[in-house]
Amino acid sequence: MSDPLLKVQNLRIELTTRDDVVPVIDDLSFELAAQESISFVGESGCGKSMTALAIMGLLPEKIGRVASGSIIFDGEDLTQASEDRLREIRGNDISMIFQEPMTSLNPVYTVGEQIAEVLRAHQGLGQQAAWTMAEELLDAVRIPNAKRRVSDYPFQMSGGQRQRVMIAMALACKPKILIADEPTTALDVTVQAQIFDLLNDLRRQTGTSIIMITHDMGAVAEMSERMIVMYAGRGAEIGGVDEIIEKPLHPYTQGLIACVPHILATVSAERERLLEVPGIVPSLREFGKDQCLFASRCPVRTDICLQKRPPIETDPSGHSVACWHGKDAS
Amino acid sequence: MTQDSPQGAPLLQVENLGVRFAIKRGGLFGEKRYLYAVDDVSFSLKRGETLAIVGESGSGKTTTALAIARLVDAYTGRVRVAEQDVLGIEGEDLRQIRRKVQFIFQDPYSSLNPRQRAEDIVREPLQSLTETSSEDQQKIIDRLFASVGLRPEQKRLFPHQFSGGQRQRIGIARALATQPELIICDEPVSALDVAVQAQILNLLRDLQAEFGLTYLFISHDLGVVQHMCDSIAVMYMGRVVEYTDRRSLFNDPKHPYTTALLSAVPSIDKKRRAEMKRISIHGDPPDPLAPQKGCHFANRCPMATDTCQQSQPALTDKGNGHMVACHLVT
Repeated sequence: MSDPLLKVQNLRIELTTRDDVVPVIDDLSFELAAQESISFVGESGCGKSMTALAIMGLLPEKIGRVASGSIIFDGEDLTQASEDRLREIRGNDISMIFQEPMTSLNPVYTVGEQIAEVLRAHQGLGQQAAWTMAEELLDAVRIPNAKRRVSDYPFQMSGGQRQRVMIAMALACKPKILIADEPTTALDVTVQAQIFDLLNDLRRQTGTSIIMITHDMGAVAEMSERMIVMYAGRGAEIGGVDEIIEKPLHPYTQGLIACVPHILATVSAERERLLEVPGIVPSLREFGKDQCLFASRCPVRTDICLQKRPPIETDPSGHSVACWHGKDAS
Repeated sequence: MTQDSPQGAPLLQVENLGVRFAIKRGGLFGEKRYLYAVDDVSFSLKRGETLAIVGESGSGKTTTALAIARLVDAYTGRVRVAEQDVLGIEGEDLRQIRRKVQFIFQDPYSSLNPRQRAEDIVREPLQSLTETSSEDQQKIIDRLFASVGLRPEQKRLFPHQFSGGQRQRIGIARALATQPELIICDEPVSALDVAVQAQILNLLRDLQAEFGLTYLFISHDLGVVQHMCDSIAVMYMGRVVEYTDRRSLFNDPKHPYTTALLSAVPSIDKKRRAEMKRISIHGDPPDPLAPQKGCHFANRCPMATDTCQQSQPALTDKGNGHMVACHLVT
């Protein structure tokens, strides 16, 4: 593989809270190749969305900042880029779709106008050309009768259709990376399946890389080649999706997979008890401590877990894990 | 499975239940129109078992449950809980039914009064629905806190001092307070983080085993349903399209909508993903205000014929109590 499209190295993002400065992302490194799809998995509050915002240069102003590390996109370090340059990159090269298609569209403009705006701002298209292109995009995301629907307002569309409009908007400038933050959590499963199919087709056609943020291992398995399991701002486990699902090394990953009742191909009479991950994600105050932050919830914890942060160990296949007992699992 | 158990009638019997909402349209003299949210729904539930209602949003799952709990008015049909009619009663009789039927709500953030202490939240149904003395009330509260896994000192805390999973435990304790016969769980885990879901699902099953509880379980998550239920009713556009026991439904789904729904669930099971061809159903459910003449699913069904467009299929037994409403299933 030549140079990856996106290379995040030792990224540390600090948030200023009332009492302290805490690292919400702590020493995170990963790579994303062109056309690849990678998923971030973990509970809420583990830093998945924060990573996405950092890549977009959208960290909350005055509160969040990149403290150290780099985000190299296409040879350019985004952490050093100016606000103007970032604005150019957003939408053109990297774009994002959000969880809530209900609230991320402007209710007082037609969807066509909102898509056309992106095209006018970023591609310098004229009024008419942008509108025609908006129609084509709506058609590409399989909204039936796009020519007519382009002048609809968001409230005239269903949740699935609104999410399609969001995708059309995000893809308007043929970005190199599409970040999808829980793109289907607000949607029904049949609609979710349609959106996944659409994203996979678009990836095949346009070669866009996809970063997906989710908590659903099933969705990861359908959408991505690799996954990053995040816990309390740190990467707990990184590797191929099939490999991790088959043999998770980090106890948190094991818990995340086993605690969900996955739908089975054949149902038998017995039902096993679900494995519980006791407790909840630590509060921000705990972040950044020199220990394993999962230790308080971990079934295989020993003394060392509380004394020192586990190093990240990578095996030859590129499967890495940050756990003092990661080797024992294999 | 619709036959009564040897011990007598089922705990919950719903016959031809219908709920409609009047829609204002066409001005002062316009004719009154109705939206049929629940249309001719029948099922029964044995003591100590769990019946799941699944379906997409807007399919009438919650409205059915609300009608059973007398929280919305049904316009037709019959509901019996422990051989007692629920619809049409008032006053003291209704109060008795409220004691017997309790609700666990979806969102533990908005279903607890923020200005009441945890123990007062659990005490409220005891005060308003039973004649328990205050000493006994305290005993019941203490026992319930232990049963749902909360510590005694947490009784004095307010809802905002609990995590989401703990709040749902308070909601469960409140539902159990009056020793109800039937507990309606409306999406009890969908607002919770994945790792916490397992804790609540295990708790619900433990409590069921311990107290012989009967659950009407509403969920859109088919993995959760597969894990929790004994029988399932699949709803589409206000009607039950398939109703049978757990193993028949998941191993041998008959209605095209059920098949499509199951195939849409993303899975980590490689074997299931390989075997199951995704049957995508296109578009959205039709406008509930303009119902078609035939089968409601006909416009999205991959197998629809002329008959499906013309007449509505009835829910009929297709062998061994496997109830399906489809012209094409024999």
